[in-house]
Parts: sequence; C-alpha cells; structure tokens
Amino acid sequence: MAEGGDTNAVNENVPVYEHVGVNSKPFHLGSFRDLWLSVLKPEDYSFNETSGEIEDAQFIEELGITPQTLEELKTICSPDSLRCHAEDETPDPDLVPANPQLATLKLRKRRLDYKKTLIRDIVGRHDMFSNELEMLSLGRRAEDASDTVPEGEIILTFNIMYPVLFVRFRHVRAYQTLHVLGSQKLTELRDAICCVSDLQVFGEFSNTPDMVPQFISKDHYKSAFFFFEGIFYNDMRFPECRDISTVTRDWAKTRGFPEFNTAKMEEATFSDLRMKVGYPYLYCHQGDCEHVLILTDVRLVHKDDCLDRKLYPLLSHKHRVMTRKCCACHLYISRWITTNDTLAPMDPCLYCDQCFRLLHYDQHGNKRGDFQAYAYVDPGAFN
Amino acid sequence: MDYFKQTLKTDCEDLLARFQATASVRFEEFSAIWREMKFSSIFYGILEPSEKKVFTRLVLSAASQYLLPPYSFQIRVGGLYLLYSLYTSQFNVPKERIRIALKDWDELIRFQQDAVNAQHYDVVYILKKLLSEQAVCFTAMPDTLSFQVKKKRVDRRQQLCESFVDRPTRPQELIGTDLLEELANVHEHYEGLKKAILPRPPQSNLSLVKPNLVPKLRSAVLTFCSWQQNQAEFGSPSDGDAGEGTSSQAHDESSRRAQLLASIKSRSYAQAVEASRSRRHRQIELTSAAQDSESTRQIPRFRKPPSLKMRTSSRFTAEGSENGGLQRTTRLWRLTAVEGEKTEEKKKRRFIWKERMRSEH
Repeated sequence: MAEGGDTNAVNENVPVYEHVGVNSKPFHLGSFRDLWLSVLKPEDYSFNETSGEIEDAQFIEELGITPQTLEELKTICSPDSLRCHAEDETPDPDLVPANPQLATLKLRKRRLDYKKTLIRDIVGRHDMFSNELEMLSLGRRAEDASDTVPEGEIILTFNIMYPVLFVRFRHVRAYQTLHVLGSQKLTELRDAICCVSDLQVFGEFSNTPDMVPQFISKDHYKSAFFFFEGIFYNDMRFPECRDISTVTRDWAKTRGFPEFNTAKMEEATFSDLRMKVGYPYLYCHQGDCEHVLILTDVRLVHKDDCLDRKLYPLLSHKHRVMTRKCCACHLYISRWITTNDTLAPMDPCLYCDQCFRLLHYDQHGNKRGDFQAYAYVDPGAFN
Repeated sequence: MDYFKQTLKTDCEDLLARFQATASVRFEEFSAIWREMKFSSIFYGILEPSEKKVFTRLVLSAASQYLLPPYSFQIRVGGLYLLYSLYTSQFNVPKERIRIALKDWDELIRFQQDAVNAQHYDVVYILKKLLSEQAVCFTAMPDTLSFQVKKKRVDRRQQLCESFVDRPTRPQELIGTDLLEELANVHEHYEGLKKAILPRPPQSNLSLVKPNLVPKLRSAVLTFCSWQQNQAEFGSPSDGDAGEGTSSQAHDESSRRAQLLASIKSRSYAQAVEASRSRRHRQIELTSAAQDSESTRQIPRFRKPPSLKMRTSSRFTAEGSENGGLQRTTRLWRLTAVEGEKTEEKKKRRFIWKERMRSEH
C-alpha cells in the first residue's frame, strides 16, 4: 500500500497534478502500473466474474454480520429503489420529461428545443463513423487465447494532432485518438499514426502520367522520432534510417540548452517511459512533419475493453476532413494537381484521374498544352 | 458537452444538500431524495449515442469529486451513493465506469475503513458492490487531460461547496499554547540578541518582526475561531431550508448574501471603529495586516486568492515597520482601487491566421 511510510522513489510515480486540470507531473508508466496492482486485489481487475455467493460469504465474514442483515442490505441498496417512476410504466428515455426540476434537464430541454428548430439535411455522418469505429472494438475477444491482453495491463490513450491542414481548420484541432498497450513498442504507435505526408509522391509527371511510381515518401524516408521528456526516440529499424534529431540536438547544444539524450524507438516499450499525462510531446517524421502528441489517459485494462492484442494500437477517434473534389466533375476525389495549366480555371488546380486524362491528353496519350502535373494525396484519404 | 458542467454541479449539490439536511448516512434516505427529485431522469432526452456516453462520463466525473476529501464524511457517503445510483441508472451498454485515480485510492480505502469501524454496512456494501461489478476504472488522473491551457480559468479552479466541508481546525491545532510559549521564548531570545549586537537602541528599520507578535497571533486565531462559529450559526438555517425545493437556487444565493452582510455588520458594530457612515460596510477589512492575511488564507469563501500585488503589499506592510500612517494609506488604497482585478482582465492575444500569413509574406 502506497502510504505515508513509503520512500520518495515510489511516491514520485503516483501521478499528481502539476497544473490542476492541465497536466500531471512525470511518472514512470511501468511503476505506476505496479503501484496500482499492489494496492488492488486481483479480482478487482480480473476479466472473470466472481460468483455472487462467494462475494456474499466474504462480505458476511469480513463485517461479522448475519445473512439476514445482508439480505436486508441487498433489498435496500438494490437499483430498484432508485426507480423514479411507477413499476408498470416505463418513460421514454429519449424524451425530456415535461416539467423538469433538475437544472441540467432544463438546460437540455432548451438546447433540444432549439435543435429541433434547426433544419438539418445531412444525417450526422460523424456519429455514424464513430459508431462504426466503436463496433470494431467493442468487447472484442481474441480468437487465439495467446493474443488476449493480460490482466493488469495498462492502456494509454494518445491524441495525435495534425499540423494545420487548411486555413479553414485553424480553430479545430484535427486529431486522431489511439489506444496502445503498455507492453507495446513505440514503433507500433509510429506505424499506426496515419498522416498524408507519408503518402506523398515526389516528381513531375505531366509527360508520363502512367508512370507514376508506386513508392511513397514512407518508403523513401523512414526516419522519425518521438520526443518524450527530454529524450529523442529515433526509429532505427531500417538500415536507411538516420537520426534526424541530430539537427535539433546540435542546435540546442550551441544555444546552451542541457544535453538531450537519444534512445531507439524499437527498443523502448511504453512501460519504460517516464511521461506526463496531459502534456504535449512531439512526433516528427518526413523530416519536418511535426505532430503534437498528448497522452490523455492511462488506466488499467477492464474486461469490457477490447481484449484482442492484435487490434492495438486501436483507433477510437478520427477527425474527418471534407475531401477536395475534382474541379471538372465535382464528384471524385482529386488525384492530380496541375500548375501553369492553360486549360485549368485556376492555378493550381485539382483533378481526378479520369478528368485529368480526358482533358490533358489526346487519344494517343499525347500531352496537350503546357503544364506541370503532380500527384496529389487528399488529406481526407483516410476517412 | 461542457456546458452541462455547471448545471450538473448545481444538481449534485442540491441533492447532497438535501441529503445533508437529513443528518443521516442511510441509503434509504438517499434513495428517497433521489426518487423525489426524479434524478434518474437526468439521462433522459439524449439523442445521439455518442453524446450519451460523453454525458455519462461528465456526470460521473462531476459526482466523483464528492467522494473524496476535503468533504465531510456524510457528504462523501452521499457522493458514493450518488455515483452508485448514477452508475446503475445509466443506459449505456457497456456501462461507463467511474474513474478513480491512484492518488485517491488510499483515501477511498481509508474511507471504507471508517465506514466499517462505524458499522455503516450499507456504505461498505455499496462500495464492495461497485468494486465487484468492476464499475471502477483505475486510472492515472481523475480526468482525461489534453493540456487545455486556454480554457477558462474559472472552471479549472476547484470550486468547493463550502457547506459540505468540515470546518477546518488546522490553525487551532497548529497554534496551541505550547507553540505560543515556544514562540514567545524564541522571540524574547531574538530581542535579547539584537540588543546585544547593537550598541544603540534598535532602529526602526531593523525591527522586522512585530514586537507583540505572540499576542497578535493568538488574537488572530481567536478571531478566526469566532468567525467560524459565526459562520456556523449563520450556516445552519441555510442548510435547513435547502431541503425546501429545487427552485430555491436564486433565493439561496440572495439569502447567503444577506447573511454575509449581516455578519459583516454585526462584527463592524462590535469593533466600534470610527469611520464614515458610507464606509461602514467595509470595516472588517480594516484589521491588522497580519490578521488579514491569516484569515484570507483560511476563509473558503474567498475563492479568488488575492493577486500577487496584493499579497506582496500586505506582506510588505506586515513585515515593515509599524508606521501607522503608511499602513493606513496603503490599506485605504487597497480598499478603494482593486488593481489586482483589473490587471487580470487584460485581453489575451488571439492567434489570427491571416495576420500571421501577412507577416510571413
């Protein structure tokens, strides 16, 4: 039990606020997990349910009460005693009662009444998507027993912000939420973060539109790093990976900052990290695509969580971006972007694959007019 | 969803105030109030399923603060019942869980031990039931955090419902007769040393400590005590009428203000300091600086701690010489011009994309 007599080293891993409501002080995630496990009884976090009789017996024994008292307690404390309506009638949960007394209900009634006055011609697609995402993971059990998440594992929730996508999104923090397990490697999180800059194809292809190479930036430039609590975790899995944090560290050295350490991303698990909850960290890939990354939550795994190890890192929220459509058909998502295009209404201009070819090339595939064409990857490609 | 925060707080506090008025920790009493208030209906009327989840999380996090100290035992019991009732009456499948942070776990265990010792079986039973149903989520922090620095500072500051809190007895415990004696000895010794060092009688700029420190400290604690008692006397009727109805929110607020005014008035009459009629309502603040800072630290009603400027100036006047004229002017200035508030309202610069782009080009 982590009580007064403990040493400082242990207490330091009990997360407390650094700034109330903003972020916590740094703590070691692995020891944090051990602390929880040390104060809890195994049945508190086990995936199996203990039977009611055993619990009752334990309860009677612990408190030294008679079984009659327990029965009495059960009837008094049963959830039925909280029912606010008569037994034969069941009110519709989707309706706010006519004369609400609670302040929350009054507010909700006002908001709902207002909402009804709005004309909504779009069905909430966001809700649909989030439901779909949830259905993928809800109460999933591993098919193979060896893939089950062990009891007492910690789940970390990361919010990964995107660099500003458009001017339009400057007030919205576009982010995705990923859940990872404490025993997973940092590289697994890195591979799960999807960002358009990984998918770019470099080069000008106006002369050979059919020859667009299949290599995307992700295959060319594999270096990336996480920056957590003063340590750069570099991805060095492949021979062509370089330590791209060197630039930053060298710069910091000349400016009189304290020395920063480096570590390998593929060797560190999340349990080895010392982190602050709610504090912004950095993920950098493709040289300069920098994402702010916030660890929003750390908790023990629960039996209602997704228990299939293979599904982690688990995506639970994804910002949906409106896709940019082809300027000719306004129907398909753009694949090409042209500049200096005499045929285009604006510069630069976006086209889908079909319209691009129909407009810019004749039957024999010869180029019409003068223009430069680049492959375009829409930020909404992950929707 | 955050707009429900305030209303949820009022609802929970309303329920708990009624529970407090029963002066009992029995679950029957609680469930009777729950039924009377139709509290289950708090989950009614949410259209989208995702909203339902977020709202449930919000309710549970709003309620879970009452489970933990500094609230009194009875309120914590009420908080536990509230969490249990909210948990069981939510419509989510699977149910949203109650978040307990590691730092609060010890408190919870101690709370359970207290309940066992006092033989409050319903409390223990409900706590056990929540644990055995795995209704509790063992987390690092009580809420998910995403570094929302720019959010309004007001809601970040934990606003305690003062009538739920046990009266603090820490100052009385701390400043006992032993300590006072010790302090008097040390002070005497210090004065003696100072006399020994200085050839001449001490100058005013060296007298950093007030000469009558010990009696002052004692009187400060006594004033605090009597203030607390006053507060309790005025507080009890408000507890009583809290059970009247839910619509008494505004009325409550105004009556509290009236009580506050009355208490201030009575104290200012008791002190009988001469001042103009118009300033009479402010007289309590004209106590000595040391006493002032002492009491502001303890009074839970002053939610906004004094600004740095104010604190510095009060400390300065406390530590500085006993120059009456100087102190008077500073304090009068402090009363009339509340500079600290003005500086806090300074407009923050917003990040404007267009300006940024313009400056780059």
